[in-house]
Amino acid sequence: MSKKVVVPGDLVSAERKRLGSNVFVADGKVYAKVLGISDDEGEVASVVALEGKYNPQPQDTVIGVVGRVVFAGYGINLNSYTESFMPKSAFREELKMGDIIVATISYVNELKEADLEYAKKLYGGDIIEVTPVRTPRLIGKNGSMLDLIRRGTGCEIIIGKNGRVWARNGNLPLLKKVVKFIEENSYKSNLTNTIESFFGEVPSVPGAKGKKGTDTPSEESEVLGGESEEINLTQEKQESEEYDTTEGE
Amino acid sequence: MILLKVNEMGKHGSNVEADYSKDKKRMDGRKGMDELRPMSIKVGVIPNADGSAYLEWGQNKVYAAVYGPREALPKHSQNPYKAVIKVAYRMATFSVPERKQPRPNRRDYEISKVLGEALERAVFVENFPNTEISVFVEVVDSNAGSRVACLTAASCALADAGIPMRDMVAATGTGKAFNEIVLDLNKDEEDASDAVDIPLAILPRSGEIVLLQMDGVITKEEFAKAMQMGIKGCKDIYEVQKAALKAKYELEELALNSAEKEIKGDATAQGAGEVKAPKAEKAEADSKPAKKEGKAKKVKK
Repeated sequence: MSKKVVVPGDLVSAERKRLGSNVFVADGKVYAKVLGISDDEGEVASVVALEGKYNPQPQDTVIGVVGRVVFAGYGINLNSYTESFMPKSAFREELKMGDIIVATISYVNELKEADLEYAKKLYGGDIIEVTPVRTPRLIGKNGSMLDLIRRGTGCEIIIGKNGRVWARNGNLPLLKKVVKFIEENSYKSNLTNTIESFFGEVPSVPGAKGKKGTDTPSEESEVLGGESEEINLTQEKQESEEYDTTEGE
Repeated sequence: MILLKVNEMGKHGSNVEADYSKDKKRMDGRKGMDELRPMSIKVGVIPNADGSAYLEWGQNKVYAAVYGPREALPKHSQNPYKAVIKVAYRMATFSVPERKQPRPNRRDYEISKVLGEALERAVFVENFPNTEISVFVEVVDSNAGSRVACLTAASCALADAGIPMRDMVAATGTGKAFNEIVLDLNKDEEDASDAVDIPLAILPRSGEIVLLQMDGVITKEEFAKAMQMGIKGCKDIYEVQKAALKAKYELEELALNSAEKEIKGDATAQGAGEVKAPKAEKAEADSKPAKKEGKAKKVKK
């Protein structure tokens, strides 16, 4: 079967395997839950989603926008199902609506409400919105893609798993173009090399550290397979939950 | 023998006479009683929606847009155990021969309700407590079977939004007209004196029936035959849905080379794919002369 595009209800694996992300079991077979790319090589059958909203997970780094200010604290918009709340004591200064923060998710409850920790205000900069399920591609294997983009554009970049990329300084228009390209081609293989050759043709940007092509892992595994280590960790955490989604039909 | 009284079309139903048990083909030129009207689906047509689809099915033209899952508002509509699916089925004022009042009427509310219930069976609603999934389906042109067209389009839009689903929902009309059991009735057939209209939707993988309505009088045997025909039709529609969703990504794959070159300029190569059923294309070619004939007759009168 290997890797191919599947729609909800498509067969991923005819035999019972360990369940990865976005799959469910019916009649002892593994089916896809979402539109995505299936992978049933090895012990795990899983689907990498191509579309979808942000699903908060503990340890995710997210970029939030202050959407509501009350006496006790702030309602933070995370691009998720519900807004998160942070007390004023979590920040050194008073925030106002529209301020951008970066934080880590400490806990997600059964209603998918996320608790945040290690919050920090971000000064200046721009937010680029991307499809949340495609952010792993912006990071690349061991952060290779992110390194590449940082060097190529000279921007300070923080990637939030919730589909927001915050960036400051450097060549922002170029960054926007690159991020958009990666997002639209996220399901294709060899993206790091494509982007690498792209930056190679651009005159070096002032403020960019290092030179093109140094110590970048040139190989990236196939379509969407190469995700950062971080992502793989969260996926394994999910697996224990995914076992429960067995459908009794 | 086909007679058209154009003045009375639409409002009072057409006074068309035919006998399918003798005729070899159907009023719109379809050869078989179990043949669908030509159908094409395109996904990702509305950029601001989370998922969307445009469907043409014979003369029916339908847009579907999906937003969510997002916080359900008003708050009392939230369900802490599952997502609520809010469907809004609406017809454009110009979608029918006589202007439709834009205010949603009894029929709109009913169809919204049954479509929502059908989709709820397919979506993993239990994964999204306290949220709503909004589905907006707008009929811009109609010719019988618009509710099944909407359901087919809505299901594609849900998949395009990346919402976890057990299966797609495939729907078609089936029933009886002019003395014969037929699949996918058009307006003329639906207005036949002995017409029975059965909108039917299934989850193709499990065969579960998620929508079944009926209007008319029919025998047990005829009903069984109509259902059999309908389920087969739904499975054909399922193939078109699958192809439409996959085409969006597989066509982009083909466009990769050109996209790579373009990245220096405006780095985008968008290719939301449009797919037609091979069978449907043939049927379209067949039905074209019939359409022209119909128009010509109108002009003469």
